Amino acid sequence: MNGLFHHLGVTLRLHFRNKMALLYGYLFPLIFLVAFWVLYRHEKIPLLRHMGELLTVSVLGGACFGLPTTLVSERERGVWRRYRLVPLPTWALVTSTVLARYAIILSAGLLQLAVAAAFGMTAPGHPFALWVAFTFVAFAFIGLGLVIAMLADNVPAVQALGQCIFLPMLIIGGVAVQLASLPSWALHVSAFLPGRYAVEAMQTCVNGRGFAGTRFSLLALGLIGLAGCLAGAKLFRWDAQQRFASSTGKAWLVAVFAAWLAVGGLAESRGRIAVAVDAETAPVSAAAKVAAAVPVPAAGSVPAPVVPAPVPPKPTPPLPPWKKLTDADVAALDFRVPPDEGIVSPFAAADDEPTDFVAAQVVSVRHKLPSWPPGDDGDEIQRVRNCLYVAAVPDAIQLPVERYLPGVVLEFLTDRYPKDDLVKILAWIVMHPDDGSLLDDISDLGIEGTAGDPYVVRERAYLYALKFIIRLTGRKNN
Amino acid sequence: MPANVVVRDLSKRYGGIEAVRGVSFAIEAGEIFGLLGPNGAGKTTTLECLIGLRQPDGGEMEICGLDARRHPRDVKQKIGVALQTTSLQDKITPREALRMFGSFYHEHEAPPVLLERFSLGEKADAPFDTLSGGQRQRLALALAFVNRPSVVFLDEPTSGLDPFSRRELHRQILQMKQDGYTVLLTTHQLEEAGQLCDRIAIIDGGRIVATGAPRDLIAQSSGAPSVTLITKPALPADILAPLPGVRELQCDNGTARFRTDDAAATLAALTVVLRERRVELVELQVRKASLEDVFFRLTRADESGEAASP
Repeated sequence: MNGLFHHLGVTLRLHFRNKMALLYGYLFPLIFLVAFWVLYRHEKIPLLRHMGELLTVSVLGGACFGLPTTLVSERERGVWRRYRLVPLPTWALVTSTVLARYAIILSAGLLQLAVAAAFGMTAPGHPFALWVAFTFVAFAFIGLGLVIAMLADNVPAVQALGQCIFLPMLIIGGVAVQLASLPSWALHVSAFLPGRYAVEAMQTCVNGRGFAGTRFSLLALGLIGLAGCLAGAKLFRWDAQQRFASSTGKAWLVAVFAAWLAVGGLAESRGRIAVAVDAETAPVSAAAKVAAAVPVPAAGSVPAPVVPAPVPPKPTPPLPPWKKLTDADVAALDFRVPPDEGIVSPFAAADDEPTDFVAAQVVSVRHKLPSWPPGDDGDEIQRVRNCLYVAAVPDAIQLPVERYLPGVVLEFLTDRYPKDDLVKILAWIVMHPDDGSLLDDISDLGIEGTAGDPYVVRERAYLYALKFIIRLTGRKNN
Repeated sequence: MPANVVVRDLSKRYGGIEAVRGVSFAIEAGEIFGLLGPNGAGKTTTLECLIGLRQPDGGEMEICGLDARRHPRDVKQKIGVALQTTSLQDKITPREALRMFGSFYHEHEAPPVLLERFSLGEKADAPFDTLSGGQRQRLALALAFVNRPSVVFLDEPTSGLDPFSRRELHRQILQMKQDGYTVLLTTHQLEEAGQLCDRIAIIDGGRIVATGAPRDLIAQSSGAPSVTLITKPALPADILAPLPGVRELQCDNGTARFRTDDAAATLAALTVVLRERRVELVELQVRKASLEDVFFRLTRADESGEAASP
């Protein structure tokens, strides 16, 4: 054990002395992070929304490129041949190498989270679950890195093999391009790639439901990691002269691919292809969510049993405050809003056709909205405010469906409220954006994720209220 | 003295090539034993089987009384190895390397002791990639001693070194003998083997063709002394050829080279010829048969040059 810890310590120290390793291990992931941040015009919520992808890229780089490059270059130099002369078992040296790599990857992930937090990203919702998910992701990809190291006879071969795995996962595996943007065939392919489960597991822990939504992903990653580590150990080569073509135990590669196939097959059989996250939606009651989300006024939220009792004549209730608003009050609002085709509060044009995946989400929301409890919860203002959050939350976290939902919400509201009343209610909300309770979870409508920042959600609800008034009154924004 | 290393009927094949064919030898405690042979003769394969880098196809190997095939890890605790080329990570320092490798063994020497002994004190904290070839080789030797071994294996340790570094390394190896270590050394440098080894085994084509102390091998050799003669003016071949014992005569630009079966008779007759013809003697060298002569006589190196490596 003493030797194992010494080797671990030296491996870590040498990593931090290697400028190229630092560049690839720490700087590149941060460049990705900054690129995302700049791309989203310095908004903090998209970082939270994309943290699963960003962390996956970091782990992929460290495990599938960093680990095999180090192992193969040391093998080429004869370092591992020298290690073979010592009385330490193979597993001890491989374990210390893997542990060192895990520590390196974990430090890169923590750095990425710290920098994102410095940019204003809110803290992940389930930090412990995120650490567990990160560990599973690292295990899966380190196993893969070990296999690459044993397959590659030299460092250029590591790069070639690594790219063969890295690029498909980036493009059609849900790592760099969101699954929602992919065609159906790519969704099926992605189910066989570990990148999809890596993103899903970590993202669910960042702004989803934590462990509750990661069971399948963790299982998939564990299986893939186990197969990779086992094959990596069985194919282990000490000597650069020992070429892969002439090495024994090549059949262990079958175990690696079998794990990938098993995971994909399981996902297919469980119907996790199209909307993977929905497959594990926890059966949390909508009422419970509403109760949690709408603390006041609690009395109005529980429908009282209908008792046919004689009602004493009551004095005429006072008019709700919004009723007192005049057209002049509405006209006095500041109608400066971002363009509909922009990133903030986007609004799809009539001829803007969603992809199949997004269209399915739009249909789902349109279908569920009339019976959605928060839509009937509280006074008129709170009800409309809750409906505005259906547009605001996806916008805040920049989901692909974001620009299509405002139209659905407006359609729903115009069906429910007389136009003049609706304009006044919306105007009241614009005038009192911080009033009422906030709703940052619309998963009952099939839209996963939370923004985690009340200020931004309220801001987006405010902007959509203005845009709805503009449309209802035929105004042009200033 | 008991043998520290015993090898019996060792064999190893690479595909269709029989690299080692029934090699047997024994090394006594405190002895420096050389495996001498041309490239591809099988000496490195033999050594790699002994230190556990290769699995032999047959034969027995005993090191410090332990069966090296059955208990390789126990054997590794007792041996030190310096490979032909030892490369470590670019940024590791000699002190770190010695500390780390030491931690792999039950017993280990403190890094400062080894740094001092192998003259690496000044470079103790320098990255490996800044060390010279000689310093790297000294570090490889220091690593071989990190576990206070009973037997040390050195695979062509001076290969690729400049003359100064080679001399320094020879000094270190001779020191090992004084300190009582058992050393197995492979080399293809005859002078090195003659200077350092108590006994040598000449290996060729995967077989041991001769074993013994260098001087005994030379003495047993049937090679005749060689004579090099430079005169002014040059003596023609027809004058030299009839001298008693002269054979294999070659004359070239005033230099005559030949072997003699009776050096005393040849030189006496030569002295008479020089005086009678008033020829000035510029240089006269008589050399007994050397290890090189023995080596070339016993191996195929003089016929085919370098053999194919496995």
